Amino acid sequence: MLVNDKTLTSILTHSPGTTVGVALVSLHLLSAIFAPLLIPYGPTQLVGVPLLAPGHPDFLLGTDVIGRDFLSRLLMGGRTSITVAMVGVMGAVLIGTFFAVSAAYIGGHYDDVIMRIVDTKLSIPGILFVALFVVGFGRSVTVLTIVVGLSYFPGAVRTIRAQAMTQVPLAYVKAARLRGESTLSVIFRELTPNVIEVVVVEFAIRTSSAILIVSALSFLGLGISPPTPDWGLMVSEGVNQIYEAPWLILLPAVFISTLVVGLNFASDGLANALGLDAARGMHGG
Amino acid sequence: MTLLDVRDLQVAYHNPSSGGLTLAVDGVSFKVDRGETLGIVGESGCGKTTLARALMAYCRPGGVIVGGEVVFDGQNILELKDEQIRELRGSRMAMVPQDPLTSLTYHMKVGPQIDEILRIHQKLGAQAARLATLKLFDGTNLPAPEKIYGRYPHENSGGQRQRVVIAGALACEPDLLILDEPTTALDTTTEMQVLKLVKELRDRLGTALVYITHDLTLTDYICENVLVMRDGKVVERGTASQIFSAPQTDYGKMLVSAIPRVDADIAEPTPAAEKKTEEALLKVEHLSYRYSQRWSIEALFNPQEEQLAVDDVSFELQRGETIGLVGESGSGKSTVANIVVGLMAPTMGTVSFDGAPINMIDKFRSEDLRRRIQIVFQDPLSSLNPRCRIESILTRPLKIFFGMSGPAARDRAVELLEDMELSADLLKRFPRQLSGGQQQRVAIARAFTAKPDLILCDEVTSALDVSVQAHVLKLLKGIQVKTGAACLFISHDLGVVKQVANETVVLQKGQVVEAGITRTVFDHPKHTYTQLLLAAALRREDYADLTLSAPEGSSA
Repeated sequence: MLVNDKTLTSILTHSPGTTVGVALVSLHLLSAIFAPLLIPYGPTQLVGVPLLAPGHPDFLLGTDVIGRDFLSRLLMGGRTSITVAMVGVMGAVLIGTFFAVSAAYIGGHYDDVIMRIVDTKLSIPGILFVALFVVGFGRSVTVLTIVVGLSYFPGAVRTIRAQAMTQVPLAYVKAARLRGESTLSVIFRELTPNVIEVVVVEFAIRTSSAILIVSALSFLGLGISPPTPDWGLMVSEGVNQIYEAPWLILLPAVFISTLVVGLNFASDGLANALGLDAARGMHGG
Repeated sequence: MTLLDVRDLQVAYHNPSSGGLTLAVDGVSFKVDRGETLGIVGESGCGKTTLARALMAYCRPGGVIVGGEVVFDGQNILELKDEQIRELRGSRMAMVPQDPLTSLTYHMKVGPQIDEILRIHQKLGAQAARLATLKLFDGTNLPAPEKIYGRYPHENSGGQRQRVVIAGALACEPDLLILDEPTTALDTTTEMQVLKLVKELRDRLGTALVYITHDLTLTDYICENVLVMRDGKVVERGTASQIFSAPQTDYGKMLVSAIPRVDADIAEPTPAAEKKTEEALLKVEHLSYRYSQRWSIEALFNPQEEQLAVDDVSFELQRGETIGLVGESGSGKSTVANIVVGLMAPTMGTVSFDGAPINMIDKFRSEDLRRRIQIVFQDPLSSLNPRCRIESILTRPLKIFFGMSGPAARDRAVELLEDMELSADLLKRFPRQLSGGQQQRVAIARAFTAKPDLILCDEVTSALDVSVQAHVLKLLKGIQVKTGAACLFISHDLGVVKQVANETVVLQKGQVVEAGITRTVFDHPKHTYTQLLLAAALRREDYADLTLSAPEGSSA
């Protein structure tokens, strides 16, 4: 029994789409975790002639512009952006949950201040905010993670607060207040367990969008720095060879898309299985 | 002449966990003549609504009519094509569902919604339909039909909305009208108005009625014949008066005996009067509450007279006694409970507990005071945290108030469950896994973990079936006597209040209109409003005469 009296299996196999999504995400996660054991060459080593086509006996997916093994780079290329996206979004959602639930429960000026900050952040175009932040604080994995967290914090607060607002007027919250539970106790013991479905779905949906953002930043040269292998970065490095060696762009792009599509399918299915209509149609926000 | 002949009707729902079918209506047969009223009575989950829908050849998604016939005017409508059934529905057979708010379209004015029926079925033009609708509104006793016509559903009161829905159902002068708990969401006095209207219309138009309800007193008032349903089967049938006065089956007897009767004699005489010399446990003096007005431009130009939700309410409650607070929705009775418990601060007035005035805001009350005043809420499911097991729901207050934990707290929880006639197995369950009655019993047990001196019961049984209600009331009384707690019992149901309360306070629009020993109030009501409430609860015919002299509380 995970949430809502539903077993994990019944949620994961809710619909064919969910199963496909979960399979894609698991495949990506497994390959990212075990990549160091799987790769034939170091991802940053110059091991062959540049621009070998895929199908070469020594280099299964060929080599890139300066002769690094493309398969090794592809397998390693998701690790950094997945980590950045997941850690960033996880932080945003966890801290966001606290602010969202407390805003819903305490209300008044506290709620107003939090929500106006959230509104302000939401009125800044996402990519502009991220780009300015990276330019200001420098390019590093830490800065990237923080900026991802900051980007997804407001949306998470909004959605989770909405869910918490449906719980606050219920009698069990009044009962807790009347027996003298402290504010923090009401927030953590009573309310938070009852918004957990939304938190889980928020995490899944925002992660897919965060992966796209990190890849886009790397493509623009504001994200992960070379020579670290990264899909977004690989696409941008391959742009000049788009006619001679289109696989240099296509393969990383396919990796990004399959992961994002998988996450979207999985989170959609998750939202449906948990009966959260509100969570639908908020991708990329 | 038989209009509707139902033979061995079976309706089933797909069961998602087993993949099979579960019968919700199991072999029901009955006949209805023209101009006759058949009552179908049963508790929640007995399949009565499913049956009502099947009479119009309709099922909720997931349901299938698996067997039997519904012969309407000589024709088995279950064999008809969709278009043919649509022809029948709304024109020759119509339905009035339970909740008038959700059965009207929110964003459409109510008049045009009725026009639509007339335009589709009777092919009337826009102007003719409008005139016909106004006539229907007039026929259902709606005040100022022209005004109602242009209102949105939410701008009408509950009684007005239900009358609009009835007008719509009668638009094409159907031969058969199915009423599915049409008055359950309404106050008793409004309920009586609607019932009288239905009765009049039946006599005028000769419509056959199928009246579905959980309330046997209603069928006694309006029906000739009654079926009692349980688990999808008809367990008893007969004339209404026979079932009401001399039920044959055990289930029928249990249902009738469980009804809290306003005209019943109170078993024990009330000893309240002699104790009056003692200091009261709870003393409410000149309590008033006003909802703070939202700032709006409209309010600046068009200042409304401010309505008090609670207006100068005073009463006293002695130790171990029960006061019943009676009134219709909007009378301010729940607000009084919320103020006493500290959830709302009154605009004026004081509340004294055990001789000392108490702080109005719960945050500033002492832990001991919080422990001594406990409240049980109306909706049992929402008053229990859905993510907590019953064990932690019961042991948490023990830890807070008495610092009990571990096996000691667990034992105490089991003891309380036993007082509520619940088994210790429930400790491991979540609230959703319990029935409504069990949930409310757990909620009562939780309130008594604190060993309170005063317990506030806010409509604690209004969400429960009659038989469950009787059981819960008995257990509540039992634990109250055992612990010696005083009780402020809030209810709209006079029968229930008569059963539990030593003293009764009647509230109307926030004001106390009558107060006193329960027996005196019920036997010799002085105020017209009390008389009106009693007449409505007794389903008396002279109710109408009282309505004329009393101000109508339901409009606007």
